[in-house]
Amino acid sequence: MTDEKEFIQELLNPKTQNTAFQKLLSDYQKPLYSHIRNIVLNHDDADDVLQNTFVKVFQYLKNFKGESKLFSWMYRIATNEALTFLNQKAKLSGVTSEALQNKTIDNLKADVYFDGDEIQIKLQKAIVTLPEKQRLVFKMKYFEELKYEEIAEILGTSVGALKASYHHAVKKIEIYVTSN
Amino acid sequence: MKAFKLENEPKRTTGFKTPEHYFDDFSARVLQQVNDKQEVKVIPIYKRKRVLSLFAAAVMVIGLMIPIVNNYTNTSKDLDEDTLETYLSYQSNLNQYDLIKELDTKDIDKLNKGVALEQETLEDILASNPNIENLISE
Repeated sequence: MTDEKEFIQELLNPKTQNTAFQKLLSDYQKPLYSHIRNIVLNHDDADDVLQNTFVKVFQYLKNFKGESKLFSWMYRIATNEALTFLNQKAKLSGVTSEALQNKTIDNLKADVYFDGDEIQIKLQKAIVTLPEKQRLVFKMKYFEELKYEEIAEILGTSVGALKASYHHAVKKIEIYVTSN
Repeated sequence: MKAFKLENEPKRTTGFKTPEHYFDDFSARVLQQVNDKQEVKVIPIYKRKRVLSLFAAAVMVIGLMIPIVNNYTNTSKDLDEDTLETYLSYQSNLNQYDLIKELDTKDIDKLNKGVALEQETLEDILASNPNIENLISE
């Protein structure tokens, strides 16, 4: 924790800022990319959202009070950015966020940056049928393999509630894949 | 149909890929964006608020000064009655006839209304005034 405080000080100090921010980028660009890509599903959109996320992280660093870990704070920004992006894109297309995600999944077969099989596509289709919270919890637990404690800190919920959400999500996905 | 059980299935990945060398220049692109945003001069909202409040204060001060300035200009240009009387009394060139000549019918009507004397008061004035003959002749 002391190391993190020192690192935050380095990020805020104009003399050490650039080097520290480069370290932050190299440490977090891949996990945050995966997190965002899991939400927006498409590489180009994930690229836009990831850049915006890091720009916002840089802008708001001075307001970071250290009440949560830097890791969860950045994941929170990335999640909000990705969800806002999806909602705005859906609004522009005049459809719901779920309809937009279904359309993206339908196009996955033709996507050069996707090499999954039929089961993986079906899994994605099953995930879209879930309520937003369960959808997020399932992706963060199953694909990103984050710990419940970490997800709890990112989403601001209790571990117990997250376990229940994940359990419900798995059941619904199993029913969907079995019947489709 | 066999029921699908996630825990019995091999672990699935998302199947998402990234373009080759995508992360090689990602840091540089973000740093470029950050620097571009820093170069744009941003006026913090608190500074704008300060300017606005200073402007409002200045407007208020000017507003409050208007009656004082008005009053000052009025006193300097308009003569009050005392000054006028003093001026006229020391002005030897003007006599009673000159003043009467300046009066028109409207002014005389006003004077008549202004001097609304009771009959008794008038009699008293005439009785007590020793120069009554002069007054009548004028």
